[in-house]
This record gives sequence, C-alpha cells and structure tokens, in this order.
Amino acid sequence: MTTAIQSERTPAIGIVDLHKSFGKLEVLKGITCDIWPGDVVCMIGSSGSGKSTLLRCINYLEPPTAGQVYVHGTPMGRVKAGDGTLRDADQGTLAKQRMRIGFVFQHFNLWPHKTALGNVAEALVVVKGMRRDEATERGTEALRRVDLLDKQDDYPSTLSGGQQQRVAIARMLAMEPDVLLFDEPTSALDPELVGEVIDVMQGLAAEGNTMVVATHELGFARETANRMVFLDDGVIAEEAPTETFFESPRQERTQSFLKRMLKL
Amino acid sequence: MSYEFRFDIVWANIDVLLLGVEMTILLSFMAMVLGTIIGIVTAVIRLRGIRLLSYPMIAYVEVFRGTPALVQIVWIYYCLPIIIGIEMSAFFSLVLAMALNSGAYLSEVFRAGIQGIDKGHIDAAYALGFRSGQVTRRIILPQAAYRMIPAVGNVFITSIKLSSLCSVLGMAELMYQGQLVIANYFRPIEVFTVVAGIYLVMTYSTSLFLIFLERRLAWKKREKVPLREQFKLIWASLFRLSPG
Repeated sequence: MTTAIQSERTPAIGIVDLHKSFGKLEVLKGITCDIWPGDVVCMIGSSGSGKSTLLRCINYLEPPTAGQVYVHGTPMGRVKAGDGTLRDADQGTLAKQRMRIGFVFQHFNLWPHKTALGNVAEALVVVKGMRRDEATERGTEALRRVDLLDKQDDYPSTLSGGQQQRVAIARMLAMEPDVLLFDEPTSALDPELVGEVIDVMQGLAAEGNTMVVATHELGFARETANRMVFLDDGVIAEEAPTETFFESPRQERTQSFLKRMLKL
Repeated sequence: MSYEFRFDIVWANIDVLLLGVEMTILLSFMAMVLGTIIGIVTAVIRLRGIRLLSYPMIAYVEVFRGTPALVQIVWIYYCLPIIIGIEMSAFFSLVLAMALNSGAYLSEVFRAGIQGIDKGHIDAAYALGFRSGQVTRRIILPQAAYRMIPAVGNVFITSIKLSSLCSVLGMAELMYQGQLVIANYFRPIEVFTVVAGIYLVMTYSTSLFLIFLERRLAWKKREKVPLREQFKLIWASLFRLSPG
C-alpha cells in the first residue's frame, strides 16, 4: 500500500475528473472537487443528478468509469504498480481504505439479524479484529454518542426510522473514520423523526469532523455546512461557501433549484 | 363391514418393518447430505454467473425438476452404469438418484435465499471494510439460512417420501419390507396403513426438528420460555403452518 503524504495542503478527499456510466447512461460527467479536513460540504441537486453515485464512487461501492478519487493523497481503490502506473487494488487494500471512510445510507441498511449493539460491534470484531468485550465496550460508547444506550439490545425491526439511522451513524462512528459520507440520511424518515438525526449530525460537525452530506434539508445545510455543492445532470453546476451560495448564487439553474426547493 | 382387522399380524412382524425403516432413514439421510452439497455447488456456480459452468447447471436443474422421480431412479439404476461404464452398488445408485433430485430443488432454494438478501445490507458491510468472504459468512448466510429453513424442510420431507420409490428396484426399505409382509400374510390394509403411519412419523419429526431449528435461529428477542411452554408453542405453530 502506498503511504499517504498527509499535510495541511492534502485534501481529505480529492476528486479528479470523475466519470461514471451505467451501461449507456452517463451519470457523472467529469466531477472535480476537493474536500479539506474539517470541511462540512453539503451536496444538493434534484434526484438523478448524481449525488448518491458520487458518494458511492468515493468509497468505491461503485467503481468509477474514469477519473480518480484520492483519500488523504492515496488513490482510492488503486495501487501504484512497479512502473508507476495505477492498477486496481486487491480486495484487502480496498477494505482497509474503506475502513477510514464512514458511510451512512438513505435506508440505514442495518443488519436485521443483529441487535443495535450487535450492528455496531460487528465490524469492530470482524474487520478490526477486536475481542468481543472490547468491541462491546466501544459499541456501547458509540451508542451513547447517538443517545441510544437504552436500545442496545433491541433489533432494528423494533426501532423507529430515526433510531435506526442513529444506530447506523453509531456503527460508522465506532470504526473511527477520517471522513464521514452521508447519502440523504433523512430522506427515508417521517418528517417528525428528521430532527433527531439532524441533531446528531450537527453534533458531529461541531466536533470538527470532515463530512460530505447529500441532502434535501436546506435548513440543515445552511446552518451546518461551510461549503455547498450543487450537482446538476452529472456535473458540479456551482460550488461556493454556504453564505454566498444561498445569498447570491451565480448560476441561473442554482437560483431556480433553490427557488423550487424553498417554495416547498 | 364384516372385515376383520388383524393388526396383531403387523405387530408380530414389526421387526421386518423396522429393518425397512432403518434402510429408509439411511437412504434419505445420505440423499439429503449429498443433495445439500450438490445444491450448494450448483447454486454457487449459478450465482457466480460463470457462463460456461452455469448452462450445464441450468440444464441439470431443469431435467431433474421436469422428469418423474421414478424415471430418474430407474434410469440412473439401469442406464447410467451402462453409459458411463462404471458399476455402482444398488444402494449408491439409488442415493445418487435421490440426491440429484433433491439437489436440483435445493439449488433453487439456496439461490433464491441468497439472492433475496437486501443489497443494502451487503453495501453496508463493504463500506465498513468487510471482505467478500466475511460478508458471506457474517451477513448473507445467517439471514439466508433462517429464511431457507421452511423450503429446505419441504425438500427433506419429499426426499423421505421419495425413498419409497426405491422399493421398485428391490431396495429393502420400508415400502419393500411392507410388501414382503403382505406377500406372506395377505394383509395389505393393515400393513399399508401401518407403513403410511411410520412414514408420517418420520416426516412429522423432521418438520418438528426444522421448526425447532427455525425458532433457535430466529433473531427476534425472545423471553426465556420454560421447555414445556416451548413445546406447547411448537405444537401450536404446527397447526398455524407458519412459525410464531
């Protein structure tokens, strides 16, 4: 594995001319963007604009068709061959790289055959090789951070959507990732449950975590993000500091999107 | 009705029938084990989508689901040794025929069970740094195994019943032994009734065992239930046809 050269000037995530096609359908048409340590970037855009695909390409759940993602300077999913060219990384390298990137899904994706604590502790045992009691301790701590300690023995099917998403966040946090990716974490929730998940995410932002959040919650974005990215039809239509983005968007399509969203 | 039932004749010859029971259990058990292995291999090949190997597997499944079991058993017993030029014992060729039959059904059960797992559960594991073997062992199999139990149970029970066909080829299993008793005492009503009853006991205990297994593997939170109560629940669930 190549060693990352970490410095102030290395982005936590560097995305260079990323393309992704599914068959004939080109979803990402050349995305270039840097996420710096400590950034909280909110990504907005209508459905089908490529937000989810971009996030999934970052941690290689979808291998990009072309272009490259760098995580702290290390090429994601690729390793340098002897002659200096990049080739596809083996499974073990990829798994180690993914460990450093947390991912929260729209539909939580908790494992139904494990309790809340079991969900959180599983990867610690399987991936990090911790002893069961150590993992339980770390898992309990992670559940406390999302305020669900009392639900640790409950199975996902008995939890509300908001609770399930908080368990999913705890599951990610327990792995101590450097970068947190959120793929529309509140879109599948009943409106009254959105708040509890947003509170947790704002707490994480306040702790200084590096976060990329695809979301339709403009209120959350405005309060929490330091930078906004507007994705439209597979390209970044506009990227700006949050304040500028909302007060004086330059692009016409950003203006019309914001107008439509705020009317809702 | 003036018919005089003589079940005492059956009891007097119960040892003959029990010999058959032994053979029936041995035949079906071996067929289940071998069939499970065949089913797993077939399902994995088809799930991997290796085209060159997948097509023969699809053909195998279709042939064994689409032809009568009796024909399969007779064909493998008489024809296969001639075609491939390898002599097989009667026991082995019958086990092989039954195993190939169950294997075809089981492969479909396994394939459906594994394909039915929510893709998101697998994504979540990969995102946390699991490798594919770990995903299979820790995420896919525990969920799939639980869901597959009822369908696997059906195939196992069918395999017990299928073994009666082996009597046609002179294998001394329960059905054959029954006919032996009948040939000596001319009491088909009593003997066939008892034989049917014994089959029922065997299939019924298999379903009981599978329901027990399903309850053990169920991941829902269960309170500690005393053994007596557990049996009551199992008893009740047998009549509801779905595990509670």
